[in-house]
Amino acid sequence: MLSLLVLGAFPLLFIIAAALSESSLGRPFQEWVGADNITRAIADTDVVASLVRSSVYAAGVTVVSVTLGVAVAVALHRTVGAGSVVRTLLLLPLITPPVVVGIVWKLIFNPSGGLLDTVTRFFGYSGPPLSLLSSTDWALPAIAIADVWEWTPLVTLLVFAALLGMDPEVREAAALDGAHGIRLFAHVTLPAIRGVIGAVFFIRLVIAFKAFDLIVLMTSGGPGQSTTTPSYLIYQAALQQFDVGRAAAITLLFALVVTLVTIPVAVITRRLQQ
Amino acid sequence: MTLARIARQSAVNSRSGLATATLAVGLVFTLVPLLYLVSVSLMDRAEITSGIVVSADPKWQNWADVLAGSPIPRAILNSFIAAVLGAALTLAFALPGAWAIVRYRTGGRTLAATLMSPWLLPPIVAVIPIMTLLRTLDLANTLAGLTIVYALVNIPVAVWLLEGFIRKLPIEIDEAAQLDGAGSWRVLLSIVTPLVAPALVAVGIIVAILNYHEFLLATFLTQSADSQTLTVVLSLFLGERLAHTGKIAAAAVIGILPLFALATVMQRWLVEGLTSGSVK
Repeated sequence: MLSLLVLGAFPLLFIIAAALSESSLGRPFQEWVGADNITRAIADTDVVASLVRSSVYAAGVTVVSVTLGVAVAVALHRTVGAGSVVRTLLLLPLITPPVVVGIVWKLIFNPSGGLLDTVTRFFGYSGPPLSLLSSTDWALPAIAIADVWEWTPLVTLLVFAALLGMDPEVREAAALDGAHGIRLFAHVTLPAIRGVIGAVFFIRLVIAFKAFDLIVLMTSGGPGQSTTTPSYLIYQAALQQFDVGRAAAITLLFALVVTLVTIPVAVITRRLQQ
Repeated sequence: MTLARIARQSAVNSRSGLATATLAVGLVFTLVPLLYLVSVSLMDRAEITSGIVVSADPKWQNWADVLAGSPIPRAILNSFIAAVLGAALTLAFALPGAWAIVRYRTGGRTLAATLMSPWLLPPIVAVIPIMTLLRTLDLANTLAGLTIVYALVNIPVAVWLLEGFIRKLPIEIDEAAQLDGAGSWRVLLSIVTPLVAPALVAVGIIVAILNYHEFLLATFLTQSADSQTLTVVLSLFLGERLAHTGKIAAAAVIGILPLFALATVMQRWLVEGLTSGSVK
């Protein structure tokens, strides 16, 4: 109960109060300004752009992660020989701290001598160094790759567990009736685990919306604003510009967007589980 | 008949061929980045920019420099203390909570979901209020403060994961103990706790890993050198001008090795814990 109060209610009240007042980090709630912070945040194109960017990023990363995760889980389930060693190795990214994930992919994308540069040159590329993280077009997809690497194992694990829980007789019966490969997957396996896939999609979507560590480590929101997500804007507003009112206003808008995007997914998931 | 069987057999083989190929690609995508990190940790400055994949002459000096004469060992120790103590405290709060939600329907059907709802928001949201709170309590920049925050932040996740395990316990055991005159605390401590011990280990490991990974809160709550955790020190290394990438990679490898060793040994529990939550 105490923890609920401290971690649920206190920050929420703090945010609402801060959004409605002029606050700095040292001296919160100096003067009540009504909805000024919020209307200013809505009118701020940087804020709106970051909300759109984050939604597109979260949707893209989630679709890729869930597709790859389901494919690997099904493969793991069908490969009798794959033992616990393979499973443990596949889980390693999940156990790697996000900060280290950021370091690893920063090394890989390093334009002078990184793995990507080295490998593309090995295959005959001879143009200027590939510098994904300092390109306004490629920095966000590069972070997305690291994000997919880090969190796809969670999808694999949860879907694999669901596959193990399936009744094997249904699949065998369908196989005897001549269902194989893609058809077996689409008509028998997929319907049986669609509830779990929905739930995993939801979890993955929320995690993607919260992407922060990778961005701080790999690009600091740049180049320009090309990888600035709302989390990063809130961080800048509150802890670099000390404008807590603005940070709280962005937080409220972000919470609204996350809710609007995730509620349909939650509703669809509930329907799939029935 | 025989033809049909052969056809079916070959279909089975080609399917498992596709499955094996998928797994192989998955393994390569998973492992290459980690192996590259290890490889870079053995390179000197010149080798890193020269575009080679593996150093011909491994520079173990990077590892030696990190182990002796860098803040990394201290930071790893700090991370472990905060992670393990935080996880233990989390379980102490979460077990009675989860048990009450399952057995006594405390908070009806919505409490568990309400508890989880802050998880939807980015944790950056909680930084300023928590910082203000710790400063008032005089716990800012101490490992104790960080440990308490970790203990509290993870209670909802732990309750959510434990719920699934407790639901599987037959209610008759509780009822039998109560008929014998055991009060609810007695039932919880002497009956339920031993029965869910494997679940406690599993959830404890997951929470400890989450704590060990945590970066955002630690950056702001541990700004003194003797309280900084591994993730904070690593990010500071990365921010240094003229940073030696080989040493950063060595520090990262040394920082995750204990975690990988632990996770490999505890794999069964880890998987059980992650897959038993309310997802199913």
